[in-house]
Amino acid sequence: MKLAWKKTILSFLLACFAVASHSSTKQDAKTLFEQPALITSAGQSADGLQASVLAKRAELRAELVKFASGKDLENRKTLILVLGASMKGLGAAGIDTNKEKERIAQLLAEAKKKNIPLLCLHIGGEARRGQLTDEMIGDYLPSAQAAIVVKSGNKDGIFTKICKDKHIPLIEVDKVLDVVGPLKAAFK
Amino acid sequence: MKRSAAWAVLIAALFLSSCRPQKLQVSEPPQDRHAPFNYVGQKGMVVAAHPLAARAGLDMLKQGGNAVDAAVATAFALNAAEPFASGIGGGGFMVIYLAKPKKVTTVNFREKAPAAATPTMFTNKGETLEQWRTERGTAVGVPGMLAGWSYALKKYGTRSLAEAARKGIEIADGGFTVSPTFSTINKDEYEKLLKNAGETTCYLNGGIAYEPGDTFKNPELAKTLRLITTKGIREFYGGEIAQKIVAAVRAKEGIMTLKDLAAYEPEEMVPLEATYKDFTIYTLPPPGSGGLHILQLLNIVEAWPLETWGHNTVAYIHHLSEAMRFIFADREHYLGDPDFVTIPVAGLVSKDHARRIREKIASDKTAAVYPYGEFDPGQEKKENTTHVCVIDKDGNIVSLTQSINDFFGTGIVPDGTGFLLNDHMADFSTNPKSPNAPHPSRRPVSSMGPLIMFKKGEPFLVLGSPGGTRIFSSLAQIIINIVDFGMTLDEAIEAPRFFSYSVAGKPRPVSVESRIPEATLKALETLGHQIAVKEDYDKYFGGAQALMILKPKKIILGGADSRRDGVGAGY
Repeated sequence: MKLAWKKTILSFLLACFAVASHSSTKQDAKTLFEQPALITSAGQSADGLQASVLAKRAELRAELVKFASGKDLENRKTLILVLGASMKGLGAAGIDTNKEKERIAQLLAEAKKKNIPLLCLHIGGEARRGQLTDEMIGDYLPSAQAAIVVKSGNKDGIFTKICKDKHIPLIEVDKVLDVVGPLKAAFK
Repeated sequence: MKRSAAWAVLIAALFLSSCRPQKLQVSEPPQDRHAPFNYVGQKGMVVAAHPLAARAGLDMLKQGGNAVDAAVATAFALNAAEPFASGIGGGGFMVIYLAKPKKVTTVNFREKAPAAATPTMFTNKGETLEQWRTERGTAVGVPGMLAGWSYALKKYGTRSLAEAARKGIEIADGGFTVSPTFSTINKDEYEKLLKNAGETTCYLNGGIAYEPGDTFKNPELAKTLRLITTKGIREFYGGEIAQKIVAAVRAKEGIMTLKDLAAYEPEEMVPLEATYKDFTIYTLPPPGSGGLHILQLLNIVEAWPLETWGHNTVAYIHHLSEAMRFIFADREHYLGDPDFVTIPVAGLVSKDHARRIREKIASDKTAAVYPYGEFDPGQEKKENTTHVCVIDKDGNIVSLTQSINDFFGTGIVPDGTGFLLNDHMADFSTNPKSPNAPHPSRRPVSSMGPLIMFKKGEPFLVLGSPGGTRIFSSLAQIIINIVDFGMTLDEAIEAPRFFSYSVAGKPRPVSVESRIPEATLKALETLGHQIAVKEDYDKYFGGAQALMILKPKKIILGGADSRRDGVGAGY
């Protein structure tokens, strides 16, 4: 299926989910993305690891690869990119911001080549914003088929604006643990 | 600004503040947390890195406890309220001033290496050195905290350990609202906590990092503290808790034994004393290196025209950064546990050594190499943390710095105890030939540097900070800000900071807070410095706490660093 066509369907289904999740506590099991998924962090914050714990709680077959490259997309059907830069994380990994950006750009290019859809997460809230994270949001979010974000990280509407402009379904949740429901529902 | 003018401004500011109604700022920080703000007290004050801890200390003072009682009460409360920075699984140092006999002393309760430690214990592992030094059982030094607190209380306090622990137990049981600082640090250390403490630990919220506004409680710590206060600290050093500590350490491939815990003793030491201009500073001798390096840096800058250069100008940052690099060369070559290695302390803090370093610093370029100083051995005799400042109504003072090293220490929590074990073995050198290499029962060199500064024989400034190797440069900058640039106490603490060091004689970048103008940074680059820009108010540079005692006016000012959650509480 062409990516554009997939995106339209995903938009519709996620919109349905968003309505359902706001109107009911019951998690709607609309399936949008397929498993297995590859999780990686854009910016090497611990949010990547937190996302893998959330994926486990959502009973997804998803693997975290900290420094995922194109070859890690082999046999994956979804790429989950966890947005959020940490200078501490980058420093501990011994990589600079340019190398990290280069890695993500190559990964996204490979995902596009393989028609693997992208789900962006931002779960670090207000504290996980900043110049580098904002650059990454601007660079990578437009390629996503959907995004799930913790509300406090979207106080200035950065996610809302990009998602609206690019017609990307966006789900906002209050707390990190609330990501589990939408995440589970987004997958087959 | 000329020095005399700066003093005039300072005195005028203090006079004006003293003319206002003295509404005591107990625990209400300003809305803009970075806006300089001096807490005001008259009888006593506590400044600490968490409001509940400062309140615990203040309550102790109001109930008649002295400065040592209040410092230990604050320390217990910090274990509950700021568990990522210190606790009974760590160690520290205390500088105590006793007003009546006008005596300054220090208590060293730094962790010790287990008896099975060897100089090659980390290099032998042959892989990911950092992990063995920071996250595995081998990273855990024998904790000294409870032994140190207990020693200080028995010798200089008036209250029991149980009385001092009461507020800490209440905080651990009742919980508190997680601050953005707690949450950010919790997220940064998430991986370590998940790996070592597990998904069900109280240090994670349902397996996920805490968010601002969540409630943090630690009933297991409360239970542990109750047990210790009932049975005494022998429970920690030889009872059921000791067994749990050893089991937890050894489960992560550590080397600590019950014998190591049973053998731990704190040590009272004579303080290091030196002058800066009209002031006399009392601080820690080795194995605390922070105090020694503060004195070295102040000795070097003493003869420089700081007021002419101006605060945080190119000349100022260049000269101080160069001085820091020479100091690090000395540190690397000489510093170790004074019980086992010879440290030329007197030579290092001498004005002569400072002059020789000054002569090596060019005003228009960085040095090619940073050699350590050389001293005549015949003249010498062998000799990330939180800070608390306390003064009581009788003028007794405690300057206490304590730590579990990295935030959340190793992330290892002995089963069911609720406290974190330190990773202070990381403060040993990985070079087996270093004077600071691990050896049985040695204390690793610490960067901590709690101090008390006197003017004309009277206490004037009580100061300390966390911040690892940045501690001494941050504290020296605060002192210079007050003495040479006439800043008020909290202005001096909040002012932008910088830091540099050297490794094996080679310079490392100058790290700066981003508030230092770009034009200054560009000019520093033309002198040969590499620049590393940090955040506006970066925890990397520590979280200083301070008291300023203005005896003639009977005013005590408290300054608490907005880089962390520090507050003052006075009465």
